[in-house]
Amino acid sequence: MKRHLHKLLTGVALTVFAFTALAAETVKVGVLHSLSGTMAISETSLKDVLLFTFDEVNKSGGVKVDGKKYMIEPVIVDPASNWPLFAEKAEELLVKDKVAVVFGCWTSVSRKSVLPVFERNNGMLFYPVQYEGEELSKNIFYTAEAVNQQAIPAVDYMLAEGKKKFYLLGSDYVYPRTTNKILKRYLRSKGIPDSDIEEIYTPFGHTDYQTIVAAIKKFTAGGKACVISTLNGDTNVPFFKEFANAGLTSETCPVVSFSISEDEFRGLPAKDLVGHLGCWTYFMSIKTPENKAFVSSFTKWLKDPKVSGTDYNVTGIDTKNRVTCSPMNLSRIGVHLWKQAVEKADSFDVDKVREALIGQKFKGPAGEVTMQENHHLINNAFIGETLASGQFKIIKTMNNVAGEPFSDKFLPATTASAN
Amino acid sequence: MREGERDAAPSFLSMGKRNLTRALPLAAAVLALMSAQRTFADSAARTNLIRAVLSEDNSEQIALVKKLIDADDVVVAQGLAAWRLGSLYLTEGETKIPFLLDVALDSDGKAKGLRLLDGEPLLDQAGKPLLFSANELTPVDTTSKLRQAIKIALDLYALANRNPKMRRDAAIKLGQEQNADYLAYLEPRLRTETNKEVRKALAEAIALTQIASTERATRMAAITRLKELRSVNSLSFLQKLEKESEANPAAYGGETVRAAHLAVKQIEDYLWWGNLFGTAFRGLSLAAVLLVVALGLAITFGLMGIINMAHGEIMMVGAYAAFVVQNLFAGWFGASGRGFDCYFIAALVVAFVVAGLLGLLLERGVIRFLYKRPLESLLATWGVSLVLQQIFRHTFGAANVQVNSPSWLSGSFVINDVLLAYNRLFVIGFAIFILVATWLLLTRTSLGLQIRAVMQNRVMASCVGVRTDRVNMMTFTFGSGLAGMAGACLSQLGNVGPSLGQNYIVDCFMIVVLGGVGNLPGTLSASLGVGVTDQILQPWLGAVMGKITVLAAVILFLQWRPAGLFVTRSRNLEG
Repeated sequence: MKRHLHKLLTGVALTVFAFTALAAETVKVGVLHSLSGTMAISETSLKDVLLFTFDEVNKSGGVKVDGKKYMIEPVIVDPASNWPLFAEKAEELLVKDKVAVVFGCWTSVSRKSVLPVFERNNGMLFYPVQYEGEELSKNIFYTAEAVNQQAIPAVDYMLAEGKKKFYLLGSDYVYPRTTNKILKRYLRSKGIPDSDIEEIYTPFGHTDYQTIVAAIKKFTAGGKACVISTLNGDTNVPFFKEFANAGLTSETCPVVSFSISEDEFRGLPAKDLVGHLGCWTYFMSIKTPENKAFVSSFTKWLKDPKVSGTDYNVTGIDTKNRVTCSPMNLSRIGVHLWKQAVEKADSFDVDKVREALIGQKFKGPAGEVTMQENHHLINNAFIGETLASGQFKIIKTMNNVAGEPFSDKFLPATTASAN
Repeated sequence: MREGERDAAPSFLSMGKRNLTRALPLAAAVLALMSAQRTFADSAARTNLIRAVLSEDNSEQIALVKKLIDADDVVVAQGLAAWRLGSLYLTEGETKIPFLLDVALDSDGKAKGLRLLDGEPLLDQAGKPLLFSANELTPVDTTSKLRQAIKIALDLYALANRNPKMRRDAAIKLGQEQNADYLAYLEPRLRTETNKEVRKALAEAIALTQIASTERATRMAAITRLKELRSVNSLSFLQKLEKESEANPAAYGGETVRAAHLAVKQIEDYLWWGNLFGTAFRGLSLAAVLLVVALGLAITFGLMGIINMAHGEIMMVGAYAAFVVQNLFAGWFGASGRGFDCYFIAALVVAFVVAGLLGLLLERGVIRFLYKRPLESLLATWGVSLVLQQIFRHTFGAANVQVNSPSWLSGSFVINDVLLAYNRLFVIGFAIFILVATWLLLTRTSLGLQIRAVMQNRVMASCVGVRTDRVNMMTFTFGSGLAGMAGACLSQLGNVGPSLGQNYIVDCFMIVVLGGVGNLPGTLSASLGVGVTDQILQPWLGAVMGKITVLAAVILFLQWRPAGLFVTRSRNLEG
């Protein structure tokens, strides 16, 4: 009896398996985000939004290639905020799992570490987080904001506001240093003398901002000064606390932060940040039907997270106070662009998809984006002012800013060659 | 400054309402006597304000607000102040009516909505006043540019404010505009002003406006005045003037060049001294932070010789205790006010108790079996630290939690342009307090005597009847309690998250080892040395190089004197 039952069950299982296999093919897609370690706070949200987008694509019929419908099947690995491990995990995704495409990386150093892996194995990576540029790989598509889509518009805005003195403050690593180098050249070209630009770096996890805030206070004594901050993650808390305690406000000296989005806001003291500025290509507060749909369907998905069409088991989703932010939006846009390109190329082959990606358009929550030949997006950029609710009030919109990775191309020629 | 404004908003409001209720019947009675034009101007100002509030166009809003500067209408001022602070609201529905909330709350914490146009309450269809709760309303949006315009308009009002701090800030702000039109407001104020600080700010503002004057005599007098006032705020203006006049002496005259030069030099000298004291204060405050975090370790590691890698996590427990106490107080007393402000005192006590109990548990459960095996105790406590981190990550989430500062720990005060932040002063005071308390405990109590006896010679102490086991337990509990209080203190300065402990553990060990293991004066000197050196080096070398230099110096020093600043000879440590 027992043996019969066993046979019967195996039979049923086999039939079901065969049936599902017939009904829909699957395509493996890699997710390369740190789910543990220091970067987990930020990167976990991107993993969540990617799963949501896979579900979204699968629900609408999956990816259609050669008349067949392919369901996206996520392969999630955890590089644990460890840069060499990023390269290992990328190799694993490309060689062992043979994924069609990878979405991942947050820090520039992790991207730099996986770049040779993708080039060697001819893989494809979508990178969604604002970065310093000066890089272009045929195997990477940068949906992220380039310097001229975030830092330059923000500085332009400050110049238009009549600011004459710039305090460039950042964490000590490649993104702030490169960005500030470009900004300094840009400010110089706008006639700001070097004596009115201060460039300061602090280590990761720095907690003592007394000296720096005292210096900023002195810097602002004559008025018309602002701070351009590329401080990373939680060092912002001691900085803004000290800043507010020194009696500095967004009216006397606004701070433009490039690394604080709605998602980071969840761990920051909101009242100390009110009135300071952010510049991104997406804000949760954007009022378009596309954004409304994105936010509401993401919120709905969080309550019952799954990837339709696959038996992938989604676990460990934080549902408290969830928001959407620019890197999340750009992750999602990457998936949709890739899907469209695959359907246009009618193949998962990396070389064909790469070709098809150029010129792909997608009507995203913040307006239509277009993938350019330089693997960067044409996107709208926004400047927003922080509200006590952790949202941004949009105070300026710049339409169709074409992302350009190389600063020599967007800086005026004379200053570009000077450095 | 922000405090003052918050104080001022309700007083504006109540003043406005009182004036209004009195003024309305009065106005009717003396209508004939009053100038009709004036009444018209008032309502025009209010209409302009309402137009500004309802406008979608930022630049139009600013233009309208600028027009309001001359409106001599307290309702307009009150509306502007409320708008800027986010307590101006709009009714929902087709026609939006801007309104403020009445200061008087009913038993449900709701208030009447007063129309901006005439200060009358909003009524529902039955003619009863509508009641609103501030938490459920969304304030009218502003942008920083708009708030700036509002602030200038209010600054001119604020020159007559009752709060001297506000008068001073207003004067400084107006001076930086260098707008000669403001002189008409500033000069009469200076004649009637009695407060010393405000007088200085007003004089500074007038002189600052006048150095942009084209008349040579006025300009010269203004430069001399700024020099006498040692006006830091005008330094950059004077420097600019110095440069311009040097480049073009014909237009400015040689005496202007000399006077500007002299003034710049004097103010710079003054700044240099301010900087010196500022650095000293910052060094002291960093030293206090280091002392507070290292003192617990100085006891558990220094006196007892336990390499406790979970020390940082015990601090983390203290910080989370502060977070929990804050939430409890916010639940009982609301998220601001006097009741809430007391939470931090309670948090310190709770942090001490909770962390102490955890230390007790740790000592009884793990460490007491490992007194003779220091390496194993290192591994075991490290394991405990990982477990604790993960427990907190699971309970409170991986993201940092927000601990808000009570109002008495926010802000700062200024002596001769040196900025003293309240939270930093508190940490310095607290460091002194726990240092003295620990010293008294060790030297003036029988427990202290026993602790020292056990530390010097465990076997002998045990022979003369000291229950060494119990003394160990008490000492470790006390050390852990101190670590917990340190954690609560840190919650006022930085992040509270599962990795809080890891960020401080290296500093803790560095201070204790540098000071000389088992020596409280050593710990004190080491934290002072590291703190002050770090703050002196930072402006020159930057935060990154400063930190590296300090660490390198510590390594070199320990090469030279491996036992630290103060050497304690005890059998416990040698054997």
